[in-house]
Amino acid sequence: MTEGMPQKSSDALGAALLLAPALLVIAIAFLAPLARLAALSFSSPQGVLAAYRELLGDEVFWIVLRNTIGLAAIVTIITLTGGFALALALTRLGGGWRLALFAAVVLPLWVSVLVRTFSWMLLLERNGPINEAMVATGVIGQPVQLLFNFTGVTIAMVHVLLPYAVLPIYAALVKIDPALLKASEGLGASFATTFQRVLLPLSARGVATAAAFVFLLSLSFFVTPALLGGANNMTIPMLIDTFVNERLAWPLAGAASMLLLGLVLGCIAVIGRFVPLGGLAEAR
Amino acid sequence: MLDRRHLMAGGAALAFAGALRPAFAQGGKLTFCSWGGALSDLEKAALLDPFAKTKGIEIVAASPTNYAKLKAMVEAGQPEWDLVDVGGRFIWQGADLLEPLDMSLIPNAKALDKSWVASKGIFTSTGATVIAWNTKAFPEGKGPKSWKDFWNVKDFPGPRGLYKPFYYNYEAALLAAGTPRDQVFPVTDEKAKLAIEKIRELKPSIKVWWTAGAQPPQLLTSGELAMSSAWSGRVLAVKKENAPVDMTYDDGIAWGNAWVVPKGTPNAKLAMEAINYAIGLDAQLRLNSFGTYGPVLVEAAAKGTPEERKTMVTAPENIKNMLILNEEQAAIYSAKYEDDWNKMQLG
Repeated sequence: MTEGMPQKSSDALGAALLLAPALLVIAIAFLAPLARLAALSFSSPQGVLAAYRELLGDEVFWIVLRNTIGLAAIVTIITLTGGFALALALTRLGGGWRLALFAAVVLPLWVSVLVRTFSWMLLLERNGPINEAMVATGVIGQPVQLLFNFTGVTIAMVHVLLPYAVLPIYAALVKIDPALLKASEGLGASFATTFQRVLLPLSARGVATAAAFVFLLSLSFFVTPALLGGANNMTIPMLIDTFVNERLAWPLAGAASMLLLGLVLGCIAVIGRFVPLGGLAEAR
Repeated sequence: MLDRRHLMAGGAALAFAGALRPAFAQGGKLTFCSWGGALSDLEKAALLDPFAKTKGIEIVAASPTNYAKLKAMVEAGQPEWDLVDVGGRFIWQGADLLEPLDMSLIPNAKALDKSWVASKGIFTSTGATVIAWNTKAFPEGKGPKSWKDFWNVKDFPGPRGLYKPFYYNYEAALLAAGTPRDQVFPVTDEKAKLAIEKIRELKPSIKVWWTAGAQPPQLLTSGELAMSSAWSGRVLAVKKENAPVDMTYDDGIAWGNAWVVPKGTPNAKLAMEAINYAIGLDAQLRLNSFGTYGPVLVEAAAKGTPEERKTMVTAPENIKNMLILNEEQAAIYSAKYEDDWNKMQLG
């Protein structure tokens, strides 16, 4: 198959024409509102950059930013660990079991995040099933608080994001020739060595893709931290919400949105150095 | 399957409906937006539906109130809402977005206590931010009676809930700190600081900062919280359904549900007439029997049965133990100390 640049300029024109409708939709649906949002962020009555100056000079913004990145990082680590184990199990299981596990991983994607968050609210309540089960089995003496704090947010976010980790890692793991693992074992390597020197390097791209997905999605999570978190778990999207709905300070909301967008684009640029960006599209 | 005959029948029905509509909408329609729940039910049944009947108009109900939406509508020049129930402080916070009230259309306002009437909004029913608790945590007669008790985690142990913004918490904290009711306002830097420090003191016990009125009754019922600040009408509504929740008006923070008219609505005149109707004696008397949010008109409150008066903020025996929220001052402290408040919550 030949790939590469189109040979003739008429080919390029044809390609441009064929792409035009899609580009137009993207421009109207995504770029135009984004441009308006950017314009809004510069529209503060106190001056063009006033909203950015106020935000960057505000201690609250920096605490919230730290919260957002910290939460995203921890959720990413837990999700990747769990996701890798699940993906590995998927490659090892036979027919029926694999199908069932796949369904368990993928089906929640069809349920709204809001519904899943509310379900966690019921499960994590002080008198909810999880606390009751832990008390009944003697794991804890009396119910612990799992809601409206970091624990609750983390549990629910990991659950929501798990499929985004499992799928790219699974895609990488199935490509590994089982003979390599057998060879490693045959040469006397322990499971830990095999994992470290064979499994992980060969699936690194899948893991990096999963990490990028989960981390970037975590940065912009709103519903789950807003409903399950406490006041000290405020994230940037929640801060933007209070600017929009409570303070009616829309230039500030615009500026915070632009900074979050900048952060996400920055992350993509950094990740792009390690994983070819096409890898993001490759993971299905 | 859609065949020609069905299509024609459908067309005829549509034409018929079209012919009916102008007759029905003769007096126009009024879109009213409020917060939902017990409050919206009450406002529709007691205040607006009877008004619509006398005027031959249609009331379109919307919910919940959202200030950002209101701002966007007004700035776009086409407010979809004609009449909106807002938190009282929004009369001042959102002054630029509101139509000044034409008092010649609202003669009934003269009978109201001055504190319920402002140039851009009028309070049509009353409620309060009260102390509510789970009755399994604190049985009959053992419940808290003041914000001092609310802060007393030794004698009244258990997780607490408070409203997320500084609103209501400024007043509650100062009352807990021993500030006399008549000295809570006006706001000063010292009082705001004292209030925030007082909340910081209770912070380890505050497990939920609630944002929606439905949360406190639900969290108290499930036992997630032992005690919480709450909106009286929401608590009274779940009490009627025998939820294990109780409340006291003692030390409560009394406020009203304010009605405002968004700037630029074509139905401003009709909306103001609706306000006038809502604060009239007939409409206000209807609030008595609902037992959630009470009348603003003292004359109506005075006619309540002893049982009804128990649930009424404006009954003299209740209001004498309460602080009346100064919404104009609330608008000031909400904006001025927002950053300090956020820092306290995050830290």
